[in-house]
Amino acid sequence: MNQVFEEIKQAVIDGDDELAAELAQKVLDEGINPVEAVQEGFIKGIDEIGTKWKSGEAFLPDVMMAADALKAGLTLLEPAVAESGSQEGEPVGRIVLGTVAGDIHDIGKNIVGALLTAAGFKVYDIDIDQSAQSFLAKAEEVGADIIAASALLTTTMGEQKELVKYLVEKNLRDQYRVIIGGGPTTKEWGDEIGADGWAETADQAVELCKELVLDIKR
Amino acid sequence: MIPKYNILSTEQVQKVHEHSMKILEEIGVEMSCESALEIFKTHGLKVEGHRVYFQREFVEAQVKKAPAEFTLHARSPEHNLLCGGDSIILVPGYGAPFIHNVDGKRRNAAMADFNNFVKLAGASKNLHMTGGTIVEPGDVPHATRHLEMAYSAIKNSGKCFMGSASGRERAQDCIGIASIIFGGKEVIKAKPALISLINSVTPLKYDDRMLGALMAYAEAGQAVVIASMVMAGSTGPATMAGALALQNAEVLAGITLAQTINPGTPVVYGTTSVITDMQSGNLSIGNPECALFVTASAQLARYYGVPCRGGGTLTDSKIADAQAGYESMMVLMAAGLAGMNFVLHSAGILQYFLAMSYEKFIVDDEIAGMVLRYLRGIEFTEDDFAFDVIAKVGPGGHFLTQKHTRKNHIKELRLPQLSDRQSYDSWAKEHFDINKRAHQKWQEVLASYETPTLDSSVDKAVREYIDNRTAVLLS
Repeated sequence: MNQVFEEIKQAVIDGDDELAAELAQKVLDEGINPVEAVQEGFIKGIDEIGTKWKSGEAFLPDVMMAADALKAGLTLLEPAVAESGSQEGEPVGRIVLGTVAGDIHDIGKNIVGALLTAAGFKVYDIDIDQSAQSFLAKAEEVGADIIAASALLTTTMGEQKELVKYLVEKNLRDQYRVIIGGGPTTKEWGDEIGADGWAETADQAVELCKELVLDIKR
Repeated sequence: MIPKYNILSTEQVQKVHEHSMKILEEIGVEMSCESALEIFKTHGLKVEGHRVYFQREFVEAQVKKAPAEFTLHARSPEHNLLCGGDSIILVPGYGAPFIHNVDGKRRNAAMADFNNFVKLAGASKNLHMTGGTIVEPGDVPHATRHLEMAYSAIKNSGKCFMGSASGRERAQDCIGIASIIFGGKEVIKAKPALISLINSVTPLKYDDRMLGALMAYAEAGQAVVIASMVMAGSTGPATMAGALALQNAEVLAGITLAQTINPGTPVVYGTTSVITDMQSGNLSIGNPECALFVTASAQLARYYGVPCRGGGTLTDSKIADAQAGYESMMVLMAAGLAGMNFVLHSAGILQYFLAMSYEKFIVDDEIAGMVLRYLRGIEFTEDDFAFDVIAKVGPGGHFLTQKHTRKNHIKELRLPQLSDRQSYDSWAKEHFDINKRAHQKWQEVLASYETPTLDSSVDKAVREYIDNRTAVLLS
């Protein structure tokens, strides 16, 4: 196996996004198979850190920085992977992620984004204080499978409901799975507003997204 | 009162200050509210976009204008409170959207819960105020929640309560209501009746909602707690010194705004700084690091000469169990020892501020009673040394039948309200743990609570104000 795959894996484990990008560039420059670089380098690295996190040996900064390194490399390799026609490099799913209008809290959302990235999803983070219109616009632009809306305040939770309502009004409710999360939210709230899912923690959110994507493919 | 415990040296306090000044000068603070930015521009501060760069001389001069202590006025004057100096004000939990029932099941909080907690706080010997958003009453529309909460606080207790911090308009409603009770805006401007909780958004931001409320209260001369919640490891550095410097910079920015608007505005230096659980990213509030933040922050507030807020019966537990007890005691004890003046979240909190529990409320009331007793310290009069009684009893006797004992034990030896001190057999009859005892107790307290009378004309005027505003807000 190419030595560079081992280096890529280690760069991801170390959370070194600059090195990860550098190595991805090397893959392109030297004509190394980009699909193999993704599978044997980037994915192996993120899998290892994910396993360590689940067993309590690695912590959030390890996982989130590894996700950043993964993202840095994949961004560079994506065009080459697409060109190769391989399905291997396809993301597990595409997710538009953001904090609802009137709310500027983003820590929880960022953790969810990183863990989803680590799990192989392509995450489009539209940041904080975003209207239902912005969520939909991005989802349409990138062909998202899932729209994920975060709210930390009891006063802004209502915007999650607005998002679902907006999709219904636009006759696009069936196009996307909508999931919600954030401190004051509950499963009951998700059910009440007609969301497709709710998760209390970031790792539960990843599981939820995996299930939803499977469901879409069915 | 016992001496206040300092964990930082004078040099360390100075170092935190220097780093905070560097943060304020070189990094600045983002404020989303245009009118706040205008105020700073008028005073010659550099403002770029929404970011304000504070000159240290300006900050230091403004912070000096804040009073060292002030009195909060209650509907029942016997409950007026001094905030600052040696005083400690214990206030129930704040802002939780959920109730955890005795069996640990979670449900949404409702207005009936809010009313109950006001009454439990009203009945408590240890809690000095009824609080603010004790729980989020999910069954009342957002638009009018602040009105109904204020009404409940006034109707169900004579103790001081907190004003809404959810934006300028809601703050003005609370000021309007307080003015009716105390006889006008000028009266409460001279004698503040409301205190409210203004939070920064860490790192280094203040949002519209909080700035609007801060400005409204400052203009009206009402007290504000300006608090920063750094989550060490996520919204702030994992190192506690850095987290303290960041918190300090944010709080000073808020105090500076309040003093610039209205010099002499009663402010309280607030900390809610906590840590991040580095595996899940969850907030964690019942831990030694939190207790250290509390202790160091009280010292920082003293350095700036303003009252301080922090601590509470804080826990990450989901039910009134041993974890809830030991975590809560640690943080409240730290607050007491540090000389905290205003301790929000002193009763009822579970799961890092997300839930309130009736059982936990009663357990915390006991913890509060224990801590308050501890803080009273040991008295040292000649009579307290009881030489004559010791001489009278002599070697080998006992003190149970001495008048001195009979007279003094009540004030010296605090009787628990909840803790079990029975013999094994007495305990074994019911076999009740703390959760079950507290469950029984809060129902007894509620059943026997007598609501203090509210002058019917005041009641009518307040209700009219609320009904009129409700009609406007819900239209």
